Amino acid sequence: MAESAVSASHGGALTESLTFPQCLLAHARMRPEAPAMREKYLGIWQTTTWSALSTMVLQMAAGLAARGLKRGDHIALIGDNRPRLYASMIAAQCLGAIPVPMYQDAVAAEMVYVFRDASIRIAVVENQEQTDKVLEIREQCPQLTDIIYDDDRGLRNYQQSGIESIDALLEAGALYEQAHPGKVRQAIDEGGFHDDCAMFYTSGTTGNPKGVVHTHASLILPSRTVSQQEGLGPQDEVLAYLPMAWIGQNIFSYAQWLINGFTINMPESQETVMIDMREVGPTYYFAPPRVLEALLTTVTIRMEDASPGKRSLFKHYMALAKRIGGRILDGDPTVSFSERLQYQLGDWLIYGPLRNALGMSRIKLAYTAGEAIGPDLFSFYRSLGINLKQLYGSTETAVWVCVQPDGHVRADTVGKPVPGVEVRIRDNGEIVVRSPGLLREYYKNPQATAEVRDAEGWYHTGDAGYFDQEGHLRIIDRAKDVGQLANGAMFAPKYIENKLKFFPFIKEAVAFGQGKSEVCCFVNIDFEACGNWAERRNLPYAGYNDLAAKAEVYDLIQDCVNQTNADLALDPKLADSQISRFLILHKELDPDDDELTRTRKVRRGFIAQKYEVLLEAMFSGKDSQYVETQVKFEDGRTGAVSATLRIANAKRQQGLAKAA
Amino acid sequence: MSRRSIGEVMLDVKNISLSFGGVKALTDISFNVREHEIRAIIGPNGAGKSSMLNCINGVYTPQQGSITFRGKTFDHMNSREVAEMGIARTFQNLALFKGMNVIDNIMSGRNLKMKTNIFQQALRIGAAEREEQAHREVVERIIDFLEIQAWRKTPVARLPYGLQKRVDLGRALAMEPQVLLLDEPMAGMNIEEKQDMCRFVLDVNDQFGTTIVLIEHDMGVVMDISDRVVVLDYGKKIGDGTPDEVRSNEEVISAYLGTSH
Amino acid sequence: MGPFLETLIGGLMTGMLYSLVALGFVLIFKASGVFNFAQGAMVLFAALAMARFAEWIPALLGIEHKVLVNLMAFILAMGVMIMLAWVVERFVLGKLVNQEGVTLLMATLGITYFMDGFGQTVFGSDIYKIDVGLPKEPMFLLEDVFQGGILVNQEELSAAIIAAALVALLAAFFQYTGTGRALRAVADDHQAAQSIGIPLERIWVIVWSVAGFVALVAGIIWGSKLGVQFSLSQVALKALPVVILGGLTSVPGAIVGGLIIGVGEKLSEVYIGPMLGGGIEIWFAYALALLFLLVRPQGLYGEKIIDRV
Repeated sequence: MAESAVSASHGGALTESLTFPQCLLAHARMRPEAPAMREKYLGIWQTTTWSALSTMVLQMAAGLAARGLKRGDHIALIGDNRPRLYASMIAAQCLGAIPVPMYQDAVAAEMVYVFRDASIRIAVVENQEQTDKVLEIREQCPQLTDIIYDDDRGLRNYQQSGIESIDALLEAGALYEQAHPGKVRQAIDEGGFHDDCAMFYTSGTTGNPKGVVHTHASLILPSRTVSQQEGLGPQDEVLAYLPMAWIGQNIFSYAQWLINGFTINMPESQETVMIDMREVGPTYYFAPPRVLEALLTTVTIRMEDASPGKRSLFKHYMALAKRIGGRILDGDPTVSFSERLQYQLGDWLIYGPLRNALGMSRIKLAYTAGEAIGPDLFSFYRSLGINLKQLYGSTETAVWVCVQPDGHVRADTVGKPVPGVEVRIRDNGEIVVRSPGLLREYYKNPQATAEVRDAEGWYHTGDAGYFDQEGHLRIIDRAKDVGQLANGAMFAPKYIENKLKFFPFIKEAVAFGQGKSEVCCFVNIDFEACGNWAERRNLPYAGYNDLAAKAEVYDLIQDCVNQTNADLALDPKLADSQISRFLILHKELDPDDDELTRTRKVRRGFIAQKYEVLLEAMFSGKDSQYVETQVKFEDGRTGAVSATLRIANAKRQQGLAKAA
Repeated sequence: MSRRSIGEVMLDVKNISLSFGGVKALTDISFNVREHEIRAIIGPNGAGKSSMLNCINGVYTPQQGSITFRGKTFDHMNSREVAEMGIARTFQNLALFKGMNVIDNIMSGRNLKMKTNIFQQALRIGAAEREEQAHREVVERIIDFLEIQAWRKTPVARLPYGLQKRVDLGRALAMEPQVLLLDEPMAGMNIEEKQDMCRFVLDVNDQFGTTIVLIEHDMGVVMDISDRVVVLDYGKKIGDGTPDEVRSNEEVISAYLGTSH
Repeated sequence: MGPFLETLIGGLMTGMLYSLVALGFVLIFKASGVFNFAQGAMVLFAALAMARFAEWIPALLGIEHKVLVNLMAFILAMGVMIMLAWVVERFVLGKLVNQEGVTLLMATLGITYFMDGFGQTVFGSDIYKIDVGLPKEPMFLLEDVFQGGILVNQEELSAAIIAAALVALLAAFFQYTGTGRALRAVADDHQAAQSIGIPLERIWVIVWSVAGFVALVAGIIWGSKLGVQFSLSQVALKALPVVILGGLTSVPGAIVGGLIIGVGEKLSEVYIGPMLGGGIEIWFAYALALLFLLVRPQGLYGEKIIDRV
């Protein structure tokens, strides 16, 4: 059992088939005083060792047992990354119960669905805000018996029943352990590698969310392969800052954490993430492309504020890095000695301090995924010597489908299949996957499960793509979104949108053209980047709507669109889908208004419906259009925002006539 | 509303009159404040609200009248003595120490609680060092409470207005006062910032039992969080009671509450 | 090269002493917003006190041990400066708290003349000696590198070291102690400082005492070199341009400004002097200060007013 794990471990990383609680116990036995997690609280980093964590988890599990949690029950986890929330996840698994982590910015309606679908028995929440939300929906969730909170601020006087703090739970746990000694341990031993261990609701772009059921095996097996391939181990430091509900967080900061025994570090608050990252200096890091983009924007803005001397130095060395930095990282032998020398000088002067300012000085390995990443953005980080790589996967595949191997890293691919994972392309271009990391099923939804996994065990990803000459996978778009223009040419809206979003001034874009003779798109400007640009030109503006309506900004975006068109024109398959017309929206697309999913993916159908009047205007050649839109404020109230939007024409590449 | 049970009269303002040259800022104002309650002072601009607070705080000395705090009566005090008695305040126009960062500003509020003398501190001998640590922890808790961790080391002059107001509040809280005088704590804030500030004010009252006297213009806020209200107009008191009583008071309505804000 | 280095080092050391006196200005201005015109006179006054006490103690008490005598004289002189601080606070500043800056400046002018006269009355108007055992022989450094070596005046060297140490100590005090914080708070906003219970009067006494301490050390060093005489306060007034250069509110500014002026003076005297007929040393500092007032009035490190629009 767990004993053999000690000898079977690999320098601290576990190789046996253990459940997550069993992994925890193994680490606590092997390296009790090593740091398991750290949290910055009251300005200092507070460490929890493996043995302390183990003790807390066992006591929590006992407490949950005292509250009647049984094998197979579901328990919701809602909050930011906090040590005790992580502990409660493992504690639930000790008893064979199944944690369901949820997004902390979910609104009541979304939560009710999940609570009812999963028959949530107990909700472990971070603070008063989450407690209030759960209380609001409690009536509609008859299965819910207990709400347990971590931070008691503001909760001391709550009179309602069924609410208690984790401290109270721990006390109950101590009593339970006295009354039923060894019962928790027994439950842990009875846990099987192929038992269900967690459930994640996918934020579907259409229809109701579905609960993706994973087992210990599905989360661990491919994660372990990758850990070994990438050389991860107990000495690594990881920053746990992404939402607990997201599958990536559960792989990087949970599964791989418990496999390898490294340390996860939790920032003080969302605002302090960058400051805390600098202090931690993580060695293994994940960031979605928008975070990387935001970082780059901050750097560029700060650079523009610097003295001319510093700026020219920066420009010179960044150009150098762009030429050879990525190649050096790839291990390219054709880089000359003098170039390497220059790069080293640049490293002392610019790249080192820059990595430091980003908190990336110690990064051995960094991943990004989730949406396409602009080539400039990607090469920026690599040229600084940061080993940023792309990966491809989803909630249903427990992330690991393809990973870029070291030395073969390019911006436009997602790499090669992970060992143990099979990837094929169907005739219609859809990518299908077979892997030990696949979901066991969609919870209580055999129909959906059957739709997505065929008889031979292939999972249909719903993405369209192809393998290039080097065997790397390239993603085009969601398979069902790849459409056709009126003349039959391929129309891949996401591809176009991504190209537009590569520009720092464009935060979001939505392309329309299915069945039409031309492509038109909505654009959301990036307030920070455009604002800065405007200030530099002494262009005053009074806020987002005002800035978005300015003629100069339209010209700026026009430029971006034209450049995108030029790019599209280069590929014969895509040349016809150059953008003909565009407009800049007066308000940012927002998940609270259901225009984006919680992971900020565009909900094209809904947007088309909501802004129908704008679409009609664009395709019928009008120059401007008045629109009134509903918005939802954070406290649930609704309001309306209206504006008259200008519609501009883009420049398409000459020689390619508009499709009839 | 205060969740704690409201106690005895803690602060009693009697017949205060204040004038500057020929201008009468306050005329014969009397009201009291009970322990643990949240008392709002409202009125149109120029009604004398800030002047009233300044009298309590010792910045202005009224020509007539007296203030009784915890049974001791004063006809004039200076700000330092008031602070020593356990009354802290925030300022309408912020009076943060611009040369310092957030932590130092809040730490300065611990001044009265520091027991070691200048020499011990200068040489950072054991007792002074331990004291500094202890105070630092209190300040960190306040920073955590006000959710301003990300700006600990930022010079306050660089912060946006809403955050500066929080630091002002933090500095007053650092004094661990019995009475907190808040001079328009929500002025210039948007909806979200106001909600946050309300939350902080209520939490302070609830967690620490601090009695709060606040000047506020936003009627929604006043009706929501205060236990009792004093209404001033042209330096005279025209209303005194619970929010509901005041809201239906004819004089108050005609002077001030014509339309909702 | 050798002579250049000599001049440079000599300039740095003199500059350090300017910094020390400038520090007194900065302290008082930071903490009470008062531009203390009397800083120079304080240096003289303190030096006089020290010199005379050092004479009177052996005469009156018969103690001959040099170190002990100097120590006692130092303590007594410090006591006098603290009393002076208390008197100034009580009878001058305390009464003028809410007046304009100009009024306070005039008051310090008045204090200057008072101290000059009072000092002479009590302590006498001759030239006095201070001898605290600073080594006086010149040293020759790097004799193998440069022919004849570089002449370094040991007295100036030890003075510079003491001044530097004092500056570092004060900077640390301001930054890291509770009292230092209170001083900075008072410097920023009197009203707010009072509202958190900081006793303004006591703080000002502390500040003037510290300034007095600085003046005493400067007075001892300079007096030891030049003898304690009236011109000491003139030399000390050189600290004014230092403060303009460095910024009235900046401790590092006082240091950097002092060094720049010290070096600038000496270098310009030696290299430009012969062309212009000499005497540059006297007005170089003021010319530089004038330039700064035109180009960058807040000095190198002074606080730029950050206005949020």
